[in-house]
Amino acid sequence: MEKEKSNGDKYLFDLAVFLATSARGCIEEPHLYGPFRLIDALSRLIELPKYATCIKEDPFLAKMKRVIDEKKFLVVSDIEAFKIFLGNLVREFAEELKRRSLEKR
Amino acid sequence: MDVFEAIRGRRSIRKYEPKPVPDDLVKKILEAAVWAPSASNIQPWKFIVIKDKKVLEMVRKISPGYFGDAPLAILVCSDKERAYRLGGELGRNYLTIADCAVAVQNMLLAAYASGLGTCIVKSFSSTAIRHILEIPDGTEPELLVIVGYPDQSPKPPSRRPLQEITYLNRYGEKYFKK
Repeated sequence: MEKEKSNGDKYLFDLAVFLATSARGCIEEPHLYGPFRLIDALSRLIELPKYATCIKEDPFLAKMKRVIDEKKFLVVSDIEAFKIFLGNLVREFAEELKRRSLEKR
Repeated sequence: MDVFEAIRGRRSIRKYEPKPVPDDLVKKILEAAVWAPSASNIQPWKFIVIKDKKVLEMVRKISPGYFGDAPLAILVCSDKERAYRLGGELGRNYLTIADCAVAVQNMLLAAYASGLGTCIVKSFSSTAIRHILEIPDGTEPELLVIVGYPDQSPKPPSRRPLQEITYLNRYGEKYFKK
């Protein structure tokens, strides 16, 4: 199917629908679907610069999106690997946070 | 294709080619569904074949568990009123779910044997899908089956060993010793 052409308004609305339906679903779904939806939402959020021209694309975030999209489905095949992936992801964010914070000083 | 080959080879597909699914294969998948066993032969299932791109896109958006741009989805619903009329509370509350689940497994195997990929999605908003597809009260959307030509070959996920889950004559007595 040809990808539907997207604009900023549509992107925001689609993300809102995803978050709202995810929130409702999380009431009954397996508890690990909570982190799964959050990380999937993060992947979608990182696409924001495509639609909001005032925001520059961030190479670090773009790289994290690729990692997320590659690993997120571990939630259904290997729970332990999914947890390790999230831990590693947070470590990468922490390292980047530290690097950016120290750079500013 | 040998049935066991289909059972072992089928995977949940989350990336699809844009190629449309021919109508004769859609019919084959649906026929496979209705040949599933059904408690008291109630056959509570109803199917909504979703092909229209705009409708499909709406369904995808209200389904956080729906991944990939498959050209087709089939929503399997259960007719709760029919199930209650013919099967009482057990029929309505439990057997409809079991019946739809076995019908869906038939669909997945028929699709796989026809070269198609599928994925079952339960993570959809029931409220939203009812509204979008105009599903009447008394009919419950149970499972969404995404169908298309696969654009990935996922590795098989692990399975719990039979030794761990199979007993002989009484719970706890292992059927497989090794």
